[in-house]
Amino acid sequence: MSKNTNIRLGVYLCDCEGKLDQSIDLNKVKAVIQSRADFEYIRIANLLCGTLEKEKIVQEIDKYSLNRLLIAGCTDPFIKRQFTVLAEENGINRYEVEFVNLLIPGKENTEGAVSIINEVLLQMQTRGAVVYEEIDVLPEVLVIGCGTEGAAAALAVSENQPVTVVDNDTFRDGISLIEGKKNITVKTGVKVVGLEGFPGNFLVRFLDNGKHAKQSFGAIIIALEAQPSFDPIKYNGVELGERILSLSQFVKNDRDYAGQKVTFILGQADQDSLLSYATALSNAIALQEKGADVSILYDDMKVSADELEQDYELARARGVNFLKYNGDLQILTTDVAATVRYWEPFLPQIEQIRLISDYLVLAEDYVPHPDTADLAVVLDVRTGPGGFFQEDNVHFLPVMSNREGIYFVGSCHGPIHGIELDKEVETAKAEVGRFASGNIRVPALQPQVTAEQCAVCLTCYRCCPHHAIEIVHDESLNNMYNSAARMNPLACRRCGTCAAECPGKAIQLPFYSDEEILQKVSKPPKLVAYACENSGTLAAEFAKSLQPELQENLQIVSVPCSGKIDALFLLKALEQGADGVLLLVCHKENCKYVWGNERADKRKEQVQRRLAEIGLEGDRVDIVHLAANQGNQFNASVRSMVDKINQLGSNPGKVIK
Amino acid sequence: MIVVENKSVEDILQMIAPYKKVLIAGCYGCVTVCLAGGEKEVGLLASQIRMARQKEGNPIEVLEQTVERQCDKEYLDKFQDNVREVEAVVSLACGIGIQYLAEIYGSVPVLPGVNTQFLGTNRDVGQWEEFCMACGECVLDKTGGICPIARCSKSLLNGPCGGSQDGKCEISKDVDCAWALIYDRLSALGQLDKMTEYIPAKNWHREKGPRKLVKEELTLERD
Repeated sequence: MSKNTNIRLGVYLCDCEGKLDQSIDLNKVKAVIQSRADFEYIRIANLLCGTLEKEKIVQEIDKYSLNRLLIAGCTDPFIKRQFTVLAEENGINRYEVEFVNLLIPGKENTEGAVSIINEVLLQMQTRGAVVYEEIDVLPEVLVIGCGTEGAAAALAVSENQPVTVVDNDTFRDGISLIEGKKNITVKTGVKVVGLEGFPGNFLVRFLDNGKHAKQSFGAIIIALEAQPSFDPIKYNGVELGERILSLSQFVKNDRDYAGQKVTFILGQADQDSLLSYATALSNAIALQEKGADVSILYDDMKVSADELEQDYELARARGVNFLKYNGDLQILTTDVAATVRYWEPFLPQIEQIRLISDYLVLAEDYVPHPDTADLAVVLDVRTGPGGFFQEDNVHFLPVMSNREGIYFVGSCHGPIHGIELDKEVETAKAEVGRFASGNIRVPALQPQVTAEQCAVCLTCYRCCPHHAIEIVHDESLNNMYNSAARMNPLACRRCGTCAAECPGKAIQLPFYSDEEILQKVSKPPKLVAYACENSGTLAAEFAKSLQPELQENLQIVSVPCSGKIDALFLLKALEQGADGVLLLVCHKENCKYVWGNERADKRKEQVQRRLAEIGLEGDRVDIVHLAANQGNQFNASVRSMVDKINQLGSNPGKVIK
Repeated sequence: MIVVENKSVEDILQMIAPYKKVLIAGCYGCVTVCLAGGEKEVGLLASQIRMARQKEGNPIEVLEQTVERQCDKEYLDKFQDNVREVEAVVSLACGIGIQYLAEIYGSVPVLPGVNTQFLGTNRDVGQWEEFCMACGECVLDKTGGICPIARCSKSLLNGPCGGSQDGKCEISKDVDCAWALIYDRLSALGQLDKMTEYIPAKNWHREKGPRKLVKEELTLERD
């Protein structure tokens, strides 16, 4: 950040449809703060969250060239989000937008409003502006995997930027779809063995038909297709043959089934995948239309994806039989037919039903492409359930990996069906599209390193969940190594884990520096809660509407991720006067920044150990895993913490100055 | 890197019991890298000490300062203003830093805040392993790059002994047998014949006393 000499601040006072009128005289507030002539524009609004207001604000931002906004009224998190999005869309960085809550119990009066607005105004007018960096990036995109999914991704991306598709195998079914197409290069017999650099400038190392090679790319799309795997044990040992086919075998053959009786069996081997349901439905419809007599034997018909319900309805309308079974089935084959014996759940009193078909088609499991585990290590991206790419985490949208610039498309992160694939291709195309122009402008909000304090110990480098840190050597870096850690602005997601782990206190996250955070607990109330902005902060806002009085003796300090909660913050809050400290963090395995909440767990343990060492009760520190919508859980946790503190009594270690 | 471990706060509190104002002296060298004596740890320890003494009703003032390296005089000089202020210094540097600090500031007690452990590597965050004992006569060429002095429990130069089982040392199943590692490495290098080479015993007599290293061609003629 640098000192801004050209601040153009817009101030909005909202009376929440007249709700504030009784307690606060906004005209008076306006008049008082207007006497400070340091802003560009001020307006009282009746309902800022109304639709027409947004258009008006956009016009005002343009007309008065506003570059900072202060919005005073309520601080509902959803309204906050709306305004940050609006600001960003109009060229104002989200960190240049401040919100002031005029609905603070006890401060709902004109003087209170003036003082709190003035305080924030002063901060906004004195602090530096967000600096933007222009970064040269490569538009070239690497697609790993040349099946139909990789080909689909390559075709879409090639509309805007050059694509290289590599595959370790020589024969893949996507090759013919893209070979010779404009903007696309296909290379087979090529294995990815190394990756350096950052989004926009990745250096990828290959084994190209046994020879070492390297090439630079702006972004990488992983499209290593999952593979069907037929496991006879799932069908009581049945062998595939002339009359019994796996679903993937069936899809590949082009036999004419007109007049034949074909039965699909779903639900025995494919528990987690909608792909076999989608495949079976679309094939059943086609078969039926070509004159086959088709049945689908299922235990649970899974249609919870776009257009699957439609396919199901269509199949029924075309005359496909849907038969439900319960538990195990037995399959018997002869030269002329294949028989399934099964229990019908709604007719339990009758004996097993025998269904005789000409052909049986058995759904199968999908397993990750065999290169998945190796590639995950090479690219430092994480895998999840079943060994597929991408962990099981609500914060991770389908194409997202734990690294910026690397995306997953298709069944590499679990079997998906066609419509989902189309959406992922579009999403990935948009993501890599950021690199197409060869230049990206980003706010330099990544953590900053003071070289004098950096011991180049690699702790931050190793703790970074996004592979966003490099150790750079430069004569201007003023320490014994002339080296220091540096966070890449395109790779960094600003969780702040590095800053909290740094043993030299060399790393500071803009807007969340140690100084700023410790200032907030310099004279804390009884209880301090360090809250992750993705869960704790939002839950606290919600909780406030349920039981506002609970937050009277509580100081909430928001951090972008619980990984930013330094052990020092916990001790300092206690030293400076708190009786207890809570950590409000996301649910386990659901950290937006991969493992911030796990680091927070460890720090809580560390601080409890440190308190025990000096004879203070470890119970003064606790961690709560919760989600943004768990206001009740928040209140329950605060109540139980307050009870605990009351039992323990005042913190004997606090050093009152 | 020199690897150290923090002393228990209880021990440190006992050492500083007589004092009302102390300095915690950190070091940006090895002890920062091994997460035990950098600016962060200085802050954590200082906070613990203040709270502990407050709780006893015997408050203490704790100053905090960290310098580049405590094993060099020029950096130690940076402590002078703070040292003058306090009754004692707790150094979080390794044994070298603590001693040199004590030597430079002879009039103030300098107390150890860490136990210096070994020379080792940092495999990953929070994991260290002893690799070298500074014996002064390196044999790594003969042992496939694995030190039998530092990594064999008995420091055997011609191993393994009978206590090697399934690649582990008899003292604990968590300790690798260095000679099993050496065997595997030499095998991978195609140098197994080195296993049969006899390595003569080292001369452990310290007839030269505490070691000093002086390179005449580098020393300055200071008056």
